[in-house]
Amino acid sequence: MTAPLPAAQLDSEAIRRLRELDPSGSNKLLERVVAAFSSSVDRLLADLARARAMPTPDLTVIRHVSHTLKSSSASLGATALSARCADIEVLARDGRTEGLDAQLDAMLDEIQQVRTALAALL
Amino acid sequence: MLPTGQDLDDLPPQPRVLLVDDDEVNLLLTAAALRERGFEVTEAPSGSDALAQLSLRAPDVVVLDALMPELDGFETCALLRATPGFESLPVLMLTGLDDEASINRAYQAGATDFFVKSPQWSLLDGRLRYLLRSSRTRNELERSKAKLARAQDLARMGSFEWWRGVAGSFLISAEGLRVFGRGPQDRLDFLSVMRMVPGDDRHVFLRLLRDVVAHTSVLITDLPLTLPDGRQRVVHIEAEPEFNEQGGVNGYTGILQDVTDRRQAEDRIRQLAHFDALTGLPNRRQLIWRVERAIESARRGGHEVGLLLIDLDRFKVINDTLGHAAGDELLIEVGRRLRGCVRHSDQIMEGVLEGLGNRSHRGLEAVGRLGGDEFVALLPEVADERDAERVAQRVLDALREPIFVGGQECFVTASVGIAIYPRDGQSMADLLRNSDVAMYAVKSQGRNASAVYSPQLAGHGKQKLELESALHKALERNEIVLHYQPKIDVRAARMVGAEALMRWQRGNVLVPPADFIPLAEETGLIVPLSEWALKEAARQAKLWSLQFGFADSIAVNLPSRLFERTDLVEHIHQCVSAYGVPHRSIQLEITENNLMKDLQNVIPSLHRLNEVGVEISIDDFGTGYSSLAYLTTLPISEVKIDRTFVRDLGITPQSSAVVTAIIALARALGLRVIAEGVETLRQMEVLHRLGCSLMQGFLFSKALPPDELERWIALTVLPRKAPWITQADGSTDLTRGQR
Repeated sequence: MTAPLPAAQLDSEAIRRLRELDPSGSNKLLERVVAAFSSSVDRLLADLARARAMPTPDLTVIRHVSHTLKSSSASLGATALSARCADIEVLARDGRTEGLDAQLDAMLDEIQQVRTALAALL
Repeated sequence: MLPTGQDLDDLPPQPRVLLVDDDEVNLLLTAAALRERGFEVTEAPSGSDALAQLSLRAPDVVVLDALMPELDGFETCALLRATPGFESLPVLMLTGLDDEASINRAYQAGATDFFVKSPQWSLLDGRLRYLLRSSRTRNELERSKAKLARAQDLARMGSFEWWRGVAGSFLISAEGLRVFGRGPQDRLDFLSVMRMVPGDDRHVFLRLLRDVVAHTSVLITDLPLTLPDGRQRVVHIEAEPEFNEQGGVNGYTGILQDVTDRRQAEDRIRQLAHFDALTGLPNRRQLIWRVERAIESARRGGHEVGLLLIDLDRFKVINDTLGHAAGDELLIEVGRRLRGCVRHSDQIMEGVLEGLGNRSHRGLEAVGRLGGDEFVALLPEVADERDAERVAQRVLDALREPIFVGGQECFVTASVGIAIYPRDGQSMADLLRNSDVAMYAVKSQGRNASAVYSPQLAGHGKQKLELESALHKALERNEIVLHYQPKIDVRAARMVGAEALMRWQRGNVLVPPADFIPLAEETGLIVPLSEWALKEAARQAKLWSLQFGFADSIAVNLPSRLFERTDLVEHIHQCVSAYGVPHRSIQLEITENNLMKDLQNVIPSLHRLNEVGVEISIDDFGTGYSSLAYLTTLPISEVKIDRTFVRDLGITPQSSAVVTAIIALARALGLRVIAEGVETLRQMEVLHRLGCSLMQGFLFSKALPPDELERWIALTVLPRKAPWITQADGSTDLTRGQR
């Protein structure tokens, strides 16, 4: 079975490693990882929306959301998204709000693209 | 799937990992990756969940995400470390790439190592295995340290150190403190240790210590101590200098060990090796050592040495009648009294003599026990033999008082033989042998006296010694022969068997049995001699059966000690089988005295012999003092009337009464009866009249070599050409009514 071409947002090397963990697909590892990512993102994005809706954005929540997304997206080979999250994490950790909104919006866009790409993998 | 990674042999086949991460995606992926590499993974989505999992099943290693909501990785790690049993569980903290602060916090929280999150799983796998291995090594080290401490404890051993110029730097390990009877919390400084050492030993030790430090040499010594509770201990100390970078000595480290038990064992061994366990007196080995030293000293000083061999008279009787315990008690008391007869000194060991100057040999004076009831008194310097005789008289006097043992008073005497160096011998062996000769002379002259050795005394003993060594070789040189005396049935005037009698053909001399059988009995040679006689008799029985149809038995005399041998029956069986003659070809004769002396030990053999058809004859019957009742219980076939009764037959009425009684008794018991020592026709006639027709004696024939016996049969018995044959023929009618 030939793997569908990964979308531009996903690092092919990371996907290959991921597939190696379940070569026959019998554990449905990829499906479970995508589902976990999806539900994790849903939860994190809800947290994020609440944090941004506050009069002063809750940087602790933003830091946690970006930290978690940073490593899970890295695991899935979403290198661009992971790098974006890392930037946001640093901003939030350092308490800088300047440009934060724009970064967060860009992150949301990229999440959508990664989701699409992941869906295409299945 | 086979787990990857190297050196798995020394790790559990499936190391258990507790994986803690709040990120579901990472948890899932890391778990999958580790499982694929052979780990057993338990997933925990939070710190509190991880702590709960820990108590359920202990993992081999924990992988902990540093940043988590609520209980983060650091707090989780700190809580884990505080839990008993998890103090040294390896914990790997997962951190971000650029998170230096987290790395430091991880170590502070007690993490074993950190790992930057990466999807390259082989790196994580390698790191985990490294952690497991180092954790195992660390555990083994801990265990081995504990074992060492335990071993040191068991060996009553500990270590200590001392650093030059550092106050309070004399330190003793916990195990070492136990050697001194202190607990692990106690402090023990050098002065306190020294206070436990007795004054003299302390001075010697401190001098040694100054010397060792001054020369930076190694310290090895034993130190006696008195512990605060009063126990006496001996501590062995070994220490080596420690050098600094400049090569100077900056201290000493070493071990100390309680060697009290070893010391006591060594003293005990020395005591056992040189002193008699029963009496505590010097033993043979120690005596030899002392006598040799005394001889050396006498050779240099030109004086004389006296050696007294003291042998108790009839000690065996006391042992046999009162038992060995009483015998031992007696020996102890005798030892104590003998000690009082000389200036006895116990404390003489190798190396001590040199310090005592030229009178030192006086210290060798002692009474020792050679073994059994033999004692030796060593007088390292005597003016002449009268000095030694005076001591011998003291010994005899000391034993005059009765000794109370086994609930009764015993009177003990001794025979003392004296030998003087250099006159009577140049060595311990010579002196001992000659004092033995003198002692035996006393014994033979009635005991309870002393005698000084003289060469005349030795004459007899020397002869005996030569006889003994010649007898040893007699068997192998075929000098021992059997002569046969016929047993006659006078009614039929024919031979009904023969008694084999041992003779020693020593050159041209035929040594009579009385001159060598007692010696053979004394030396034990009687056993091989008797065994040879049985075989020879079987051979002769076969020969005669071929030559003239001999079908009777040959009687062989055996001492009781042969009957005690469990292999006697087997030996006889081999003898008769070897020549193809029946068991009944051999008859055994045992004297009544011999039989009664050892009845209980002899009876089993008698029964077995009887079962295989070997008949037993009781020799010298009537001379024993035993009750005759035992005869009814013994499997015997024949009694031989002793020659002393036969000799007096027709002379004293008592002898015929005894013979009559023996014949009546034998008849009542269904035993054959035979008279020995029949020398005259008159004796033959009386015996015959009393109902005994079996006889042997000079009247018929003396014991003859086998070929002469054949000739005797051919020339005397068969042609019926002897006075006793006509006489027997004439008196047949006398006995007809009685048998």
